[in-house]
Amino acid sequence: MATEGTDTGTTPAVPPKRGRSYGDRKRVVPYWLMLPGGGYLLVFLILPLTLLTFTSLESGGAFSGNFRFTWEFANYTQQIVQYQTQFVRSVEYSIIVTIAALLLAYPMTYWIAFYGGRWKSSILLLILVPFFVSFVLRTIQWKFLLGDNGLIFSPLKSIGLLPDHFRVLATPFAVVAGMTYSYLPFTALPLYVALERIDKRLVEAAKDLYSSRWEAFRHVVLPLSLPGVFAAFLLTFVPATGDYVNASVLGGPGTTMIGNIIQEKFLSELNYPEAAALSVILMIAMLILASIYARILGTEDSALSAGVAG
Amino acid sequence: MSDDRLIAPGAMQEILRKRLTRRGLLKGAGAGVAGFSLAAFLAACGSDSGGGNVNPKDVFSGEAGDTVQFANWPLYLDQAKDKDGNVYYPSLKQFKDATGITVNYEATIQSNEEFYGKIQPQLAAGDSTGWDIIVITNGRQFTILTQNQWVYPLDTSKRPNFDANAADYAVSPAYDPGNKYSMAWQSGITGIGVNTKLVNGEVTKMDDLANPDKVGKSSVGMLTGDMPDWVMVNLGIDPKTSGPDEWKEAAAWLMKQRDSGTVRQYYDQGYINDLTGGNLTATMAWSGDVLYNQLWAGYDNLEFVFPDGGALLWIDNMLIPVGAKNPVGALEVMDWYYDPKIATEVTEWVLYNSPVKGVQDLIIKDADKAQAQGYKGYANKLYETAHNEFLFPTQAYLARTSFGRQLENDDEASQWDNIFLPISQG
Repeated sequence: MATEGTDTGTTPAVPPKRGRSYGDRKRVVPYWLMLPGGGYLLVFLILPLTLLTFTSLESGGAFSGNFRFTWEFANYTQQIVQYQTQFVRSVEYSIIVTIAALLLAYPMTYWIAFYGGRWKSSILLLILVPFFVSFVLRTIQWKFLLGDNGLIFSPLKSIGLLPDHFRVLATPFAVVAGMTYSYLPFTALPLYVALERIDKRLVEAAKDLYSSRWEAFRHVVLPLSLPGVFAAFLLTFVPATGDYVNASVLGGPGTTMIGNIIQEKFLSELNYPEAAALSVILMIAMLILASIYARILGTEDSALSAGVAG
Repeated sequence: MSDDRLIAPGAMQEILRKRLTRRGLLKGAGAGVAGFSLAAFLAACGSDSGGGNVNPKDVFSGEAGDTVQFANWPLYLDQAKDKDGNVYYPSLKQFKDATGITVNYEATIQSNEEFYGKIQPQLAAGDSTGWDIIVITNGRQFTILTQNQWVYPLDTSKRPNFDANAADYAVSPAYDPGNKYSMAWQSGITGIGVNTKLVNGEVTKMDDLANPDKVGKSSVGMLTGDMPDWVMVNLGIDPKTSGPDEWKEAAAWLMKQRDSGTVRQYYDQGYINDLTGGNLTATMAWSGDVLYNQLWAGYDNLEFVFPDGGALLWIDNMLIPVGAKNPVGALEVMDWYYDPKIATEVTEWVLYNSPVKGVQDLIIKDADKAQAQGYKGYANKLYETAHNEFLFPTQAYLARTSFGRQLENDDEASQWDNIFLPISQG
């Protein structure tokens, strides 16, 4: 650079050219850096989503051996009418799950962030440990634990604390509880990130100004942690709505979620267009709900923290 | 029956046989399903279909290749351990000794739906699936594979063992006249599995599954895929000639049952764990699942009931997908398993119904032999196996079974789905 600089005065024709190419490169570099990530998203997100949308507008069936693209919008209208119960149920379940997970995770992460001390990371790791075992296997373990005559209920029944016909499995409660457990880490991590960032001296300052512990929490900690709550809500609510494992393992008649319907359409009915239409509907519904939510409650900061945690 | 298997009989069987249910725990698990969907979309773009009109003589001419790729269900082939403790498949080893062909056997099929989902994109695009033999149950996926000619028609002149030994019900079944495309691997019956300790009185017929006094509330399992045909059979309707009116009749019974409050869950699979675990009092069940637990795993409170109204018979069929590299070798393998001696080795291990004649007598012989060698427990289990009326169903039972309605086209399939799916999905 230095030599280039001295050259500029004597031979003006050459340096501007070099200078421009250097500036060009500088402007181009960020795009090059984006290329791996962007390419990945293009190939594994944009392309499949486009194909999904195309598939959802096809007609035909598995027996005739091919599906043709015919702008079959009926796929959408029919599915919305036919499966509104399951759509509504999925949203209901996942709202309950998200709220329950927030209520469980907030005190837990609060404690870790404020009182964890040097054990912070170890305790946080404990939250992550369940991730090491397949989600499906863990859900199946629930089934063994909560069996009508399983480890937990069998002793309680034999000493008469529970009536003989008491059961948890195959009820909506089992599905919601199973999902709450499955998605708890998704709630806990963004909450932890937000709580951990809070400057603890602010709490001390609040106390110096004669606030009670509760007031300090309400006026200092809680508002500062809201971005985390926002991110946790989204990260839990969206995948929970599409969940199908819990309903199919822990549920019974009348707990079918929209994810189960999509799975059934894909695998058993082999009706790819209708399955795709349902997926697109679910995706759009989630986008709309999430953006309304972001409009009402979100801030730039919370979007950032959602990005960080996600 | 080779002698090295009798050296370590009962104990080894127990160790090797870590069976849950034939149809696996949960189809595909999450990841498999998610991974598959992209393939399905890609597949949906292609509209190329299958082999066209293939002349079997062309496909099956020439010499067999060195290896055969065989995809089957878990725990569906006899296993043993060699001296170093490595698990191998005795009947395939014997095949190699006899023909020089190596069979790469993989127990990779968890469900018809999932496996079909995996191979459909390749078949639709005209690519090879990589498999020379696949095993698919009679039903929707089977029909689509044959209708689209995604499987080779077999050279019927090259299966002497099959011609000589195939059991009557496996010869020219309604879903594949003349066994043009398929040969049975194993088969079974869909009836009722009962936990005799948990029911009030005796469960003998379908209506008992809708009677809360007998089976209790929320404690009956129903098999989503099998139940439409199964209910029709038990209502006295012949599924084969049934139409939408009869389907609605069956759906009405299922709705009535659902309203009675007895149903605990509509299963794709996994019901057998709930039966052995005591969560179910009675359930629609596949014969082999119940019989294995009852005869070999010590659940003497379980019982398999052939309902008064009748039952479903299903067959898992060997097929050769289009694009197979070694169809000649594949057909040799398929015919190999119609040698009664080989079929007996398989049956003693997998405990499903053999489509091969003479297996029952050979099991009794093996039992005698084990008895003579002093393996009394093992011998008893073999005797019980050989004399089980559901593993070797009598003509009287078989006459009361049906293969179910074979759906022929997309219109029928969507009518069927619209009638039956609201029951399990409500």
